[in-house]
Amino acid sequence: MSEAIISIQELSKSFGDHEVLRKIDIDVHAGEIICIVGSSGSGKSTLLRCINKLERQSSGKIMFCGKEVRDVQREINEYRSKVGMVFQSFNLFNNMTVLQNCMLCTRKVLHLSKAEAFDRAITHLKEVDMAPYIHAKPSQLSGGQKQRVAIARSLCMNPQVLLFDEPTSALDPEMVGEVLNVMKELATTGLTMIIVTHEMAFARDVSTRTIFMDRGYVAEDAPPSELFTNPKNPRTREFLSRYLAG
Amino acid sequence: MVNLFSIDNPENSLEWMIFLADKYASMFLEGTRLTLLIAILGTLLGFVLGYVIGLIQDAKINQGDNIVKKVLYKCIKIIAAVYVEIFRDTPMIVQAMIIYFGIREANINITPIAAGILVTVLNTGAYMAETVRGGIGSIDLGQREGAWAMGMSPMKTMLYIVLPQAFKNIIPEMANTFLTNLKMTSVLNVIAVQELFMAAKTVGGNYYKYFESYLVIAVIYFVLCFVFNKIFIFMEKKLQGKNDYALAVEYMDNQ
Repeated sequence: MSEAIISIQELSKSFGDHEVLRKIDIDVHAGEIICIVGSSGSGKSTLLRCINKLERQSSGKIMFCGKEVRDVQREINEYRSKVGMVFQSFNLFNNMTVLQNCMLCTRKVLHLSKAEAFDRAITHLKEVDMAPYIHAKPSQLSGGQKQRVAIARSLCMNPQVLLFDEPTSALDPEMVGEVLNVMKELATTGLTMIIVTHEMAFARDVSTRTIFMDRGYVAEDAPPSELFTNPKNPRTREFLSRYLAG
Repeated sequence: MVNLFSIDNPENSLEWMIFLADKYASMFLEGTRLTLLIAILGTLLGFVLGYVIGLIQDAKINQGDNIVKKVLYKCIKIIAAVYVEIFRDTPMIVQAMIIYFGIREANINITPIAAGILVTVLNTGAYMAETVRGGIGSIDLGQREGAWAMGMSPMKTMLYIVLPQAFKNIIPEMANTFLTNLKMTSVLNVIAVQELFMAAKTVGGNYYKYFESYLVIAVIYFVLCFVFNKIFIFMEKKLQGKNDYALAVEYMDNQ
């Protein structure tokens, strides 16, 4: 297999005495769509936040394209500009319009010209069907619309990997579909994605690899066809049966 | 020339007020000018100082930063904290005395007005630093994380995302600070700044009509504060922005 884009090596994270992640090893290769599932408190979101360096790991390291991402602001910034993140709570900039949200970082981080940044913003906003709303402020949009804008905003950076931290958990049931559809579209473009989600059907249908996390460990890491139909780990089985029953 | 307001033989307090205001109009005007000058300049520069100190206090240090940067940061933070404590925990009137006479002691010839502005700036800066810190703290961490996650530096994130939002939240507090300063300039008479209070003291002494003289400046202070307050409320409304937006119809069809 080719070299991993992101390689997580023996990553551990504790909050005080509480160990949230225990020696996580995951290699992410180009084009993979990895869904991370597991019950609340199993460390999924913390893992994702560690991957984006929003949370500092207690030990272990993260390699990007074969090079360690050290805890130096300049290196972190450069790494983050290539690894986008979509949040549960959208985190659109409230003081800016949709268009400004999508142009700010391409202008200030990638130093694109205004015209280039504008073209990119429009292109990606069209992909998520939000182009007509360029003049709206985040507070004037619905949850689903906000999340679609947030996805477009991340895409504007042309990331090599896009992380999703429970992108549909804060949405009304009827809005979940529109965001999942956008993500399904993205999955067909070959973009590498790591998705923390509670949407089991989505994980089963879209991911190329599903990781089940339990109490800070990677309990199972397999293609969805195996993990969902024939889970090896009893914890996975228990989790899935609870989910499918509920 | 007939002047409706000139009264030759004032008998009651109201007439005395009008008489004094008329006779010493230039002194009251000059006092008003100085009061405004010190309050406006002192507050504006104080805001700048307050933002700088507030940002310093909010800055975080990375584990991976080199040792020189860490030590430097720590020192600056301590200096900022000491400054804020000292100026918040002593009265402005005492600060005025100490700064004015302290600088004179050092054989530097500082005018009372310059010293007055300096005191106002330092005082405002200390209070604003806390306000700014609170304002920054009031902005959801997610706003910053959204920018950080796209590779934006903490400094730029502060500049483009956090400060504009924090600024809006602390406008009422900034307005308060300005109004407080406008009135606090009155203590600067102790270092012989010829502001409104000093003018009233002088004028009152001429006829031994202190009550009326101070009533005159009370009215002036009131009018100034009232007008500025209205201006601030207007500005705040302006900054709220529009409630609606136009759909970009040019992008509606080609999806």
